[in-house]
Amino acid sequence: MDKKDEIQIGRRSFLKVTAGASVAFGLGRPENSFAATDRQLSTLIDLSLCDGCVDRKVPACVGACKEINKDKIPPITEPIPEPWPRKTIEDWSKKREVFNRLTPYNFIYVHKAETGGDGQKKTIFVPRRCMHCDNPACATICPFSANHKNQNGAVVIDQNLCFGGAKCRDVCPWEIPQRQSGVGIYLKILPGFMGNGVMYKCDLCIERLAANKLPGCVESCPREALLIGTRKAIEKIAESRAGRMNGFIYGKTQNGGTSTLYVSPVSFEEINRSMTKKPGQPDMKMDVQRRMAGTDPLAKAVLAAPVLGIIAAGVAGAWNRFSQRKEKAGKEGQDHG
Amino acid sequence: MAEKILAEKNLVIRHNVLELIEHWAIAISGLVLLLTGIFELPVGKRYYIINVPGLGWSADFITSLYLHYAAALVFTGAAMFHVFYHGFRGEKGLLPQKGDFSESITVIKSLFGFGEEPPMRKYLPEQRLVFVGMAFIILMLIISGFVKTYKNIYAPDMSYAVVLLSTWIHNIFFILFFLAFLAHMAAIALRPNWPMVRGIFTGKVNLDYARHRHSLWLAEIEPVQETPPVVVEEKPIPSDQEPEIAADTGENDLPSEANEHEQINE
Repeated sequence: MDKKDEIQIGRRSFLKVTAGASVAFGLGRPENSFAATDRQLSTLIDLSLCDGCVDRKVPACVGACKEINKDKIPPITEPIPEPWPRKTIEDWSKKREVFNRLTPYNFIYVHKAETGGDGQKKTIFVPRRCMHCDNPACATICPFSANHKNQNGAVVIDQNLCFGGAKCRDVCPWEIPQRQSGVGIYLKILPGFMGNGVMYKCDLCIERLAANKLPGCVESCPREALLIGTRKAIEKIAESRAGRMNGFIYGKTQNGGTSTLYVSPVSFEEINRSMTKKPGQPDMKMDVQRRMAGTDPLAKAVLAAPVLGIIAAGVAGAWNRFSQRKEKAGKEGQDHG
Repeated sequence: MAEKILAEKNLVIRHNVLELIEHWAIAISGLVLLLTGIFELPVGKRYYIINVPGLGWSADFITSLYLHYAAALVFTGAAMFHVFYHGFRGEKGLLPQKGDFSESITVIKSLFGFGEEPPMRKYLPEQRLVFVGMAFIILMLIISGFVKTYKNIYAPDMSYAVVLLSTWIHNIFFILFFLAFLAHMAAIALRPNWPMVRGIFTGKVNLDYARHRHSLWLAEIEPVQETPPVVVEEKPIPSDQEPEIAADTGENDLPSEANEHEQINE
């Protein structure tokens, strides 16, 4: 494995790694060891370390995320245009402080899971946010391509292109993106008939990554329960930690694979039992299939369609020519006969 | 079956079976693509389309995607077949010719009672122009659709610029395709074009209609049908006059384009 690929970065280890990297790999500047925009990254959330920041009013990761994104959403148009004919308006602008679920103003929250119904009770804290899937339907079938997966793995919604139709939320197995009505490009086109706001979710702090900074949640975690690093490195760490704690991994296979790996000493079936899926509060079912995978064989046939059409044309054309010659030969035979 | 006059039935074969299959494969798959393309927008729930009996699936984007791909397979295959099969055979009747634009204006004016139609070939001049326009729209939809399909399977993280470009080309040409479809329906709704509707279902059009409106086309296919019997019925002639008379027979028996047009107008 490339030594660069082994780099994993938490808050303190980031400093250690970059300092070491400067020497070991001859990298002049720390940020060179963290080419965060073009290499596939993953994050690790170690539930054996997360304590939910019970001593704080708001968990550190949630607070940092809120602070970083506090000015992300522009001022909301008042009154928010009523969509037609279904009059659903989703307005969180007056409830920005909510932090116990996902909202357009809150991209991460911490679920408290009381596990161990069999007597060995254990409390597990589970930070929840976008999983940044490997092949995210939310991005690939966005009708305006407002949502896109970057080469570093971050799945990012461009709020200037999003119409807020919430298709991404419908196709996300965890229904992560959240809508804020009364904002976005739809206001400038046909606000009553088309679009209904902008969808918001975690973007893995892509702008901070581009500026060689860590995502807010990773940087702020006092227990280094969150790490970010190259895909290979994070997978290796996740497997190693899960092995050590005789624990479990979530996110590696779900929805066809994701860039977020949870490691837990308690099984995710157990954790999931403590969760009730509600708007803005996803569950953690183990069996999460990537539904679009079922369409892949047909999609591959579509890619082959031009060749099939051309082959059919060649066969039909050749058959035609053959028939004409045969007919001509038959006629000539009759004439001569 | 080639173009052929069925005089006893007062019909003329305008399209063979293969052409009918091509047309309907593209038409039906195109309509499915339009519908499922619309259902790839979040309209099913918002516009209560899911409450329409039989359209409960309209808000399930993955189901729409299955149908969209299935239709795209037929659409793309048929479009490629059409181009290469007819290209292979050197059939260029649907390609624009010199003067089609001005002639189209004359035809369209005549449809609304202004002036008279010029004599026409198998296809109307505006049909030939629309064909090229439609072919371009379909080509752009296929190319952009390909990029999107490839991205969906293999490369969700492909260049954002390429993804945006293909998405917007697909969306814009989807609108143009829809408008072209409406224009196609509007053309069928015009009374003078009604006889051609029968042709696209059965392959045959009324012979009187064809003689009246597509005289240049009939002139192309009639000699093949009617000249041999005329030659057979000729009386023996002196050998020194044969070439001249034969030439006269071949050409004078057929009405010239101008003559025929005059006869029709009468």
